[in-house]
Amino acid sequence: MKTTGFLAAALGGLLAATALTSGALAQSTPIKIGVVTPLSGTYTPIGQQVRWGLELAAKEINAAGGIAGRQVNLIFEDEEANPSVAVQKAEKLFQVEKVDFLAGTVNSGSTLAVAQLAERNNKLAATTVSFADSITTDKCSPNMFRVNARAEQQSVALAAWLAKEKPNAKVYYLGPDYEMGRSTVAAFKSSAEKTGSATGGEVFAPLDSKDYTQYFGQIRATRPQVLYTSVAGNDTVRLLTQLQDFGLLTNLTVVGASGTVTSQNIGAIGAAAEGFATGVGYSPQIDSPENKKFVAAFRDATKADPDLYGADSYGLLFAYKAAVEKAGSTETDKVREALRGLTWQTPQGAKTIRAGDHQAMQPMYVVRVTKGKFDIIDSVASDKAIGPDACTRF
Amino acid sequence: MRDRLTNAMRASHVLALIFVAGALALAVIGAATGDTFYLRLGTEALIFAGLALSVDLLLGYSGALSLGQALYFGVGAYVSALTLLKVPSFWLAMLAAGGATLVASIIGGLIANRVRGVYFALITFGLAQVVSKVVYNTRELGASDGMIGIPVIDIGFGPFSVSAGNPVGFFLIVLAIIMGLYWLTAYLLDTPFGRVLTALKANEKRVPFLGYSVWRARMFSYVLAGLIAGLSGALYPMLRGFVSPELMFFATSGNAVISVILGGVGTLIGAIYGSVLLVVLKSIIGSWTEHHLIVIGLIFMICVMFLPKGLIGFIRPRLEERLSEKTPDATPLTSVSLQPGSAKP
Repeated sequence: MKTTGFLAAALGGLLAATALTSGALAQSTPIKIGVVTPLSGTYTPIGQQVRWGLELAAKEINAAGGIAGRQVNLIFEDEEANPSVAVQKAEKLFQVEKVDFLAGTVNSGSTLAVAQLAERNNKLAATTVSFADSITTDKCSPNMFRVNARAEQQSVALAAWLAKEKPNAKVYYLGPDYEMGRSTVAAFKSSAEKTGSATGGEVFAPLDSKDYTQYFGQIRATRPQVLYTSVAGNDTVRLLTQLQDFGLLTNLTVVGASGTVTSQNIGAIGAAAEGFATGVGYSPQIDSPENKKFVAAFRDATKADPDLYGADSYGLLFAYKAAVEKAGSTETDKVREALRGLTWQTPQGAKTIRAGDHQAMQPMYVVRVTKGKFDIIDSVASDKAIGPDACTRF
Repeated sequence: MRDRLTNAMRASHVLALIFVAGALALAVIGAATGDTFYLRLGTEALIFAGLALSVDLLLGYSGALSLGQALYFGVGAYVSALTLLKVPSFWLAMLAAGGATLVASIIGGLIANRVRGVYFALITFGLAQVVSKVVYNTRELGASDGMIGIPVIDIGFGPFSVSAGNPVGFFLIVLAIIMGLYWLTAYLLDTPFGRVLTALKANEKRVPFLGYSVWRARMFSYVLAGLIAGLSGALYPMLRGFVSPELMFFATSGNAVISVILGGVGTLIGAIYGSVLLVVLKSIIGSWTEHHLIVIGLIFMICVMFLPKGLIGFIRPRLEERLSEKTPDATPLTSVSLQPGSAKP
């Protein structure tokens, strides 16, 4: 009797196990996530980070049982940083590969165009790189999410730090003379003026200027305590070294956009970069167990350090996982509802997707160059670093 | 009596008919299988074929290499987009785009046609760069982000109407427009004006001695090419719903030149075949490896080395022979000023 009971139980267990496996099998068609990102051309280094971040996250999620028991399958397409190519490739992923979700677009034009395509295909997409404010303000889309910090968050964080460090300082603005340069200066100026800074003056130098000394007279005349600049690349090298040669860097705090001083030009700027501060959404130095684990795993997998693009892309898949598991489905409307207001853990700390404009709120960091390396000197809480919700479409 | 140029054009027309038949077959298969992506990819290939056609008109007939033809494509696309955002009318958008590119290409032609040869190539390249940078920095035109939100329009033909969102319907409309532009160009090249263009390519210095104005012929072909590029560009925002300054960048102009060389310079239909081939190759190889530019570069080099006259330039002479066998009155062109070699691709 006992043995029969045992046998029956064992049989029952076996049957249950088979039922489970077949049930799991029916459910275990992988979740397909399309990635349209630049894998060739100027933006390849950014696309590479996006790819590494997503691949690492997919590997970890799959090793831990996948999303709701389904494995994650990433499908990459090269968008060449060109919206026309991005839209064509995204349409292929939506229509031919039938992906459940799309990520990876880098330049803002691609992200906006892909957002519109996602709407017309009734699918969801997210960007982890584009920082133009328009994506989650006046050109927001119900089908597009942004999990990285937008331009305004960077300038708000920097302005908040500046208000603490140099209260009521007089700020002089020097930007590159093109649309993006002017808009970054305008964005920081409005943030800084809100936190009490005075404006000394502003000047726009042509892109690729060889000689910035012609502006130094104007700068000196207003006696600013702070200089804000959004020049980039070799322009930063010339601007900062010329400022140093003229002895203008003494008693002047130089702050700027996150792309002004980067790992690519910091060596060439040398000592003139000392003290330069900027606002960022991520730094590999963030001192948290999650980030240390992420940086170690990232280095292990790629032999390179993660930057903000890698970290934001890595974090995105966990947001999608949380949303799909909460929604119990990969259907567009259900996942959209689940993503709205979602809070999840990333290497940068907890992020929350604001329901009103699909912009992730996250803690922001202020980093400053000390001895040729960026050090985190301050952080700004996520609710302090986000501007008002300016999306009116949904 | 039919001369060689006419005979070559007839061979192109046969190839054009084969192309249309193939495109219609694709439309039927696409409609039957409910496909969206491939039909829309085909539509995009046809739109860029219009741009390649305009490059071939300049390069293959008047011998002027334009490295900035995307300028007119972009002007057409932006004007069409701006019109559609205000009034969602297909005909109005095409009219506005046509008018704007006409004006733009007259201005561009007055500048570019002051020089020839490599300087012409550089001037056209420079013009396109200047305008694309202006658009890139103009906030009213969406600056670097481009413009989105162009509505999916209904294209009305009297009592009938087709939505630009209908993959088969829009594919057929674009096919009709591009083949119409092809036919128009081929017709014009078969007139005495076309002979003057061919003469320009063969020996420009002699043309004035025959009593023709070099400037007028060059200008007319430049404006016509600009118009073709602009009307093709006007279709782009209807298909994709957005425009971006990248449409005017050198990559777009360069792809058009590559399409023409792949398909065969001076064959007209070769530009269309070449463009479709390039779009399809880029799509397939691009999904297969991120080193697609290397593969396409290699294919391009192999083509230039082994098929110097392009795909159609390789096929067409064989077709011409067959056609002239059927029509014994087709005698080779032996006029001194019009070298047969220049009429032939």
